[in-house]
Amino acid sequence: MFQVKNLTYKYPRNQANTIKGLDFEIRQGEIFGLLGPSGVGKSTTQKIMVRLLTNYRGEIYYRNRDLITYDKDYYQEIGVGFEVPVHFSKLTAEENIAFFKKLYHNKADTDTLMKRLGIYDDRKKKVSEFSKGMKIRLNFVRAMLNNPVMLFLDEPTIGLDPANARILKNLIKEYREQGGTILLSTHLMNDVDELCDRVAFMVDGQIAEIDTPQNLKRKYGKSTVEVEYVKDSSLVKTAFNLETISSDNLFFELVRREKIISIHSNETTLDDIFIKVTGVESYA
Amino acid sequence: MPNLVVLLFGEFKRIVEYKIAAASIVVALIWIGVLYLTEAPDITFFFPLLLFLDGTSMAILMVGVTIFFEKQEGSLRTILVTPISKTDYLLTKILITVSASVLTLVLLYIYAVIFKPVSLNFFALLGAVMLVSLFHSLVGFILSYYSKDFTSLLMNMFVYTLAFMIPTMLEHFNLLAHNLFSKLLYLAPTKAAITLLYASAGTISSGELIYALLYLVIGSALLFIYALKHFDSFAAREGGV
Repeated sequence: MFQVKNLTYKYPRNQANTIKGLDFEIRQGEIFGLLGPSGVGKSTTQKIMVRLLTNYRGEIYYRNRDLITYDKDYYQEIGVGFEVPVHFSKLTAEENIAFFKKLYHNKADTDTLMKRLGIYDDRKKKVSEFSKGMKIRLNFVRAMLNNPVMLFLDEPTIGLDPANARILKNLIKEYREQGGTILLSTHLMNDVDELCDRVAFMVDGQIAEIDTPQNLKRKYGKSTVEVEYVKDSSLVKTAFNLETISSDNLFFELVRREKIISIHSNETTLDDIFIKVTGVESYA
Repeated sequence: MPNLVVLLFGEFKRIVEYKIAAASIVVALIWIGVLYLTEAPDITFFFPLLLFLDGTSMAILMVGVTIFFEKQEGSLRTILVTPISKTDYLLTKILITVSASVLTLVLLYIYAVIFKPVSLNFFALLGAVMLVSLFHSLVGFILSYYSKDFTSLLMNMFVYTLAFMIPTMLEHFNLLAHNLFSKLLYLAPTKAAITLLYASAGTISSGELIYALLYLVIGSALLFIYALKHFDSFAAREGGV
């Protein structure tokens, strides 16, 4: 879907490049996570990819065509979901959606989307009367109203309660199952773990790591299983190598004879990887 | 439906819902109040002056306010990633602003025709109002590009008023009549605006009329090109995920 080659960008008033030679691709039908702390160039990269910044160096190909050759019709194909509310607050949700819908050739069934997201009954209310969570859900409807083939999502579940976050994540997964492609930017590593097929960690305008979450966990995790058991009235911890555990007699003896308190795999989390790779703690 | 038409309907709905249209009508009623309180038997002299105030400051303010609302609510972000051209975006706001100025002209003219004697060519006035409003709606765009918030927009407007509008009015009322000052004032867009508006009363020379027309037509074209050219950096600053 996207091929980004040696992408470099410098803001006119800056002396140094904000983006320093990015190389990555986003494959059709995948959810690609673009991760990293604030100020590393994620937003700039996305601004370039949604054609708000055009004077970049390097090459970006969207559907095998140079992005620079696209005009405003590019927006007929993409959807952009924002973290912050982006609606006319003195118009109703329905009026907002109807206004934007008229600008596109493809029109999604927004009533069904609003029903799924639980805001259909409030569609005739002014957006100023919406809660933050409702505005975020309306943002998603706005992003999807042209049946986009490529979706850019920024922190789509921030501000949502767990039930609504679940509904939205299910919609994101359904969109992928129907062939949609997503560039997802979020600090919530649980969402990344659940949704992303591949992730890229950005540090100082460059990609420090890019792989599937599973491979990254393998790479950064300890491949051990830790067993906690009681021996002679005291708690003992022993670690076993995960790769040889199936033939490790000591492990099976221990499980058979001792009183086991807990067994944990020491698989690392994306939170740990985020901190290791970027040097900054994530929010979740 | 072409996107420009969609945008025009959308913009119209928003200026109604955001009470911008109501504010514009209130201002027109204030101008009518001024005409009512004017004791001069013939209001030909005052009439273009009110349209000058409306077509300059109100045009700047109207464009500035609509952009400010879009920036404040974040709706500008989502507008910038829709399949509309920047020309359509600019034209929408210009057309709505010019329409509001024309509405003010019509309301004032109806009042004047019924209640006060006025000797003005309506169609000359209509053309003048449209051109002055067009020029100043583009000034509104430029000021909005360089204003971080509404306060800074008002400050920029204040500077424009101080630099151009007040000197023009002082000279118009012969309160500042120095020859060099009068000549320098021809550089100001507000001088061209007031000259063109008073042309409808037939009180200016054809040379001055040509100056005012050329200034505002060429100036509007240059401002439009400037506004288009700098729209991308404005979009990059205000838009994005």
